Amino acid sequence: MKKTSRRSFMKMVLAGGVLGQGLNLTLARDLFAKPTGAPIVIGHQCDLTGGISSWGYWLDKAAKAACDHLNANNGIAGRPVEYVVEDTETNPPTGARKFRSLVQRSKADFVIGSVHSGVNLATVPIAKELKTIYIPQGMANEMTGAKGNRYTFRVGSDTYSQAAAGAAWALKNLGKKWSFIFADYGWGWSHFKEHEAVLKGLGGAKINAPIAVPLDAKDLLPYLAKVEKDTEQLYSIFFGSQSVAYYTQSKSLGMDKRMNRYSVLCTHESISPKEMAGASEGIFLLEYHPRMLKYKDTPHNKKVRELMKVDPVDGREDGSNRILASSHYWATWESVFFIQKAIEKSGWKAKKDTPEFIKALEGMQVKESFEHPQGNKVMRAKDHKAVIDFYMSRIENGEIHVKHNIPAADVESRFPPQFDFTKESF
Amino acid sequence: MGRLRNLEPMQILGLLGALFFLTAPYALPLVVPGFWVNITAEIMIWALFAASVNLLFGYTGLLSFGQALYFGMGAYGVALSIEFFHFSFWPAALTGIAVATLSAFVTGIFAARLTWHYFAIITVVFSLIFFFFAVGWKDVTGGDDGMPFTMPPVLKVGGLELSLLDLTFQYYFILAVVGACFGMMHLLLKSPLGYAFIAVRENTARAGLVGYNAYMVRLLSFVFSGFFAGVSGVLFALFSRYASAHFLFWTVSGEGVVWAVVGGAGTLFGPVLGTAFLIVIREELSAYWEHYLLVVGVIVILFVTYAPQGIMGLLRKAIARYARPAAGDGRGARP
Repeated sequence: MKKTSRRSFMKMVLAGGVLGQGLNLTLARDLFAKPTGAPIVIGHQCDLTGGISSWGYWLDKAAKAACDHLNANNGIAGRPVEYVVEDTETNPPTGARKFRSLVQRSKADFVIGSVHSGVNLATVPIAKELKTIYIPQGMANEMTGAKGNRYTFRVGSDTYSQAAAGAAWALKNLGKKWSFIFADYGWGWSHFKEHEAVLKGLGGAKINAPIAVPLDAKDLLPYLAKVEKDTEQLYSIFFGSQSVAYYTQSKSLGMDKRMNRYSVLCTHESISPKEMAGASEGIFLLEYHPRMLKYKDTPHNKKVRELMKVDPVDGREDGSNRILASSHYWATWESVFFIQKAIEKSGWKAKKDTPEFIKALEGMQVKESFEHPQGNKVMRAKDHKAVIDFYMSRIENGEIHVKHNIPAADVESRFPPQFDFTKESF
Repeated sequence: MGRLRNLEPMQILGLLGALFFLTAPYALPLVVPGFWVNITAEIMIWALFAASVNLLFGYTGLLSFGQALYFGMGAYGVALSIEFFHFSFWPAALTGIAVATLSAFVTGIFAARLTWHYFAIITVVFSLIFFFFAVGWKDVTGGDDGMPFTMPPVLKVGGLELSLLDLTFQYYFILAVVGACFGMMHLLLKSPLGYAFIAVRENTARAGLVGYNAYMVRLLSFVFSGFFAGVSGVLFALFSRYASAHFLFWTVSGEGVVWAVVGGAGTLFGPVLGTAFLIVIREELSAYWEHYLLVVGVIVILFVTYAPQGIMGLLRKAIARYARPAAGDGRGARP
């Protein structure tokens, strides 16, 4: 064996150092490599103005932050990501036109959709026609149901999964005698029908005749007077000023003392309970991601909220009065990473590879992570719906406190696929 | 060539316009993204809608804010026929037009009795009644979520299938229908009935004294206007593969009024110019600035204040100014 001299030892150390440094530089170069090549264009058909613009702001901010994060970390499959947003004006014909604009003018490869169900339903057939992946954020069951197609996927929740998630707990804990009061349009009727179906399946509930309130009604007292006296829980679906009117007027009638008031967080989204002067105090809300950080205080969730620049309690943005659309913003963030994963899994290079992308996304499972802060989830292959965790919360002292976790596995038992898009040709 | 030389400047502009619409699917993608072919198709549909407003306002002197009702009826007529009754293409399209025209006749019986602001109010009220009805009746209309439908083929003979899913065919289909409607409108306006519209617009009492039944003239104008609005609604539903309660909302009627006024009310092709101008502005600005409607608002105010005859009026003035010195150079002078 050759003896190592001091000189040869120094040579080895030097060579090792140079080699190590070289390797280090190589690794560092890979780690911080700038994405190259043609960009992958992710379009966002977003409600920046109009009725849902207070949500649209956050959905845009989250999707943009996700794309920025990808670009700072080698893009998608080494290619840069270009984010293009167009405003739907919260209007279906405009939204459909903006989808065409994103695909045909901005050459979007994938489009994250509006949170307005009407915009989504107007877009779904065009998405198939233009063979473009569409990830709508609206709540109507139909776009990943009766009106859906193989190009449409849902990352967030819908009225079907919301009923499946909340009705069982509410039936057990809030009362068996239900009344429904809602704005007389698609969203309100969807909630009623989905709950009616789930409650009938569960058994033991008494459902009173639904009370549909005209959209232009300012005074809800004549409708609140129709709520049956034996009601144990009153489920409500209103939006905007009608939502505020409902909370205020039902409280002034003392209904909060006589029955449990229950709704989904959408009726309180981007609104701080502190600004409701106590009108929504005590109401139960089904959340799809907790408004308060302490109920999902994971490092990943914390980091994403930091990017949104919001406080941990009310979700109020630094330097503005905007309140985080806490149950929705995460879905556009995660949509970007679902796109990334499906591209990398399928080897997607261009629009012609979209069928392979679809197959990769069908059935995809993701773990709770920085990319998926809302939690573990699976993108069901058959109906293209993600199965997600829910939270039953209550407004107490002007804050939205989680009372009960409803894990995805529990939801899925009452949420079987109703359609199978895997049989549909491309 | 000799014939071309004898054409009036407005006729030359008309020919250039026709040439543009005829060649757009092939010529436009050479200079702009193919997206603009769809926008041109949309411009044609909305131009027909604005022309229906113009027939009432520009030619009969009735300002309607309820044209969206017949547009929406046409759209729902075709969508429901396909989705619920599984009609094929032509029966569905004809049902949409029939429903719109019939509803224009029924509402016109009441509306045509009124003029000026009373007429404007009753047309808005009719439109709002049906809007709220459509929003609430989700099981049938899809409410504000609307109703997408599967497009049946326009023609299927053996192995040959023509469908609006072929975007070039769709473009020429829309061009043919809109062109036919403008042809019909031209014939209507040049007929005795068309002159009766103008007579009633100019002076109802005098029109009555020369034997016109002003109520019947207004009713006929209303029904024809509803027919053209219905055709545009059918086309838009087929183009969108979708119908929605939003189509019935008064703001849609308001857009029709704005397009007609900016283009030039009381002229056949003014609404085409107004619609094209404002839609192109909308498309260009809205991609960069979500509050683009402020600019549109300023444009409308400027037109109403300084150019009430609209783009068509500005064109005519410009041509008159240009043509006058040209006429003085001796060419084309007649003894």
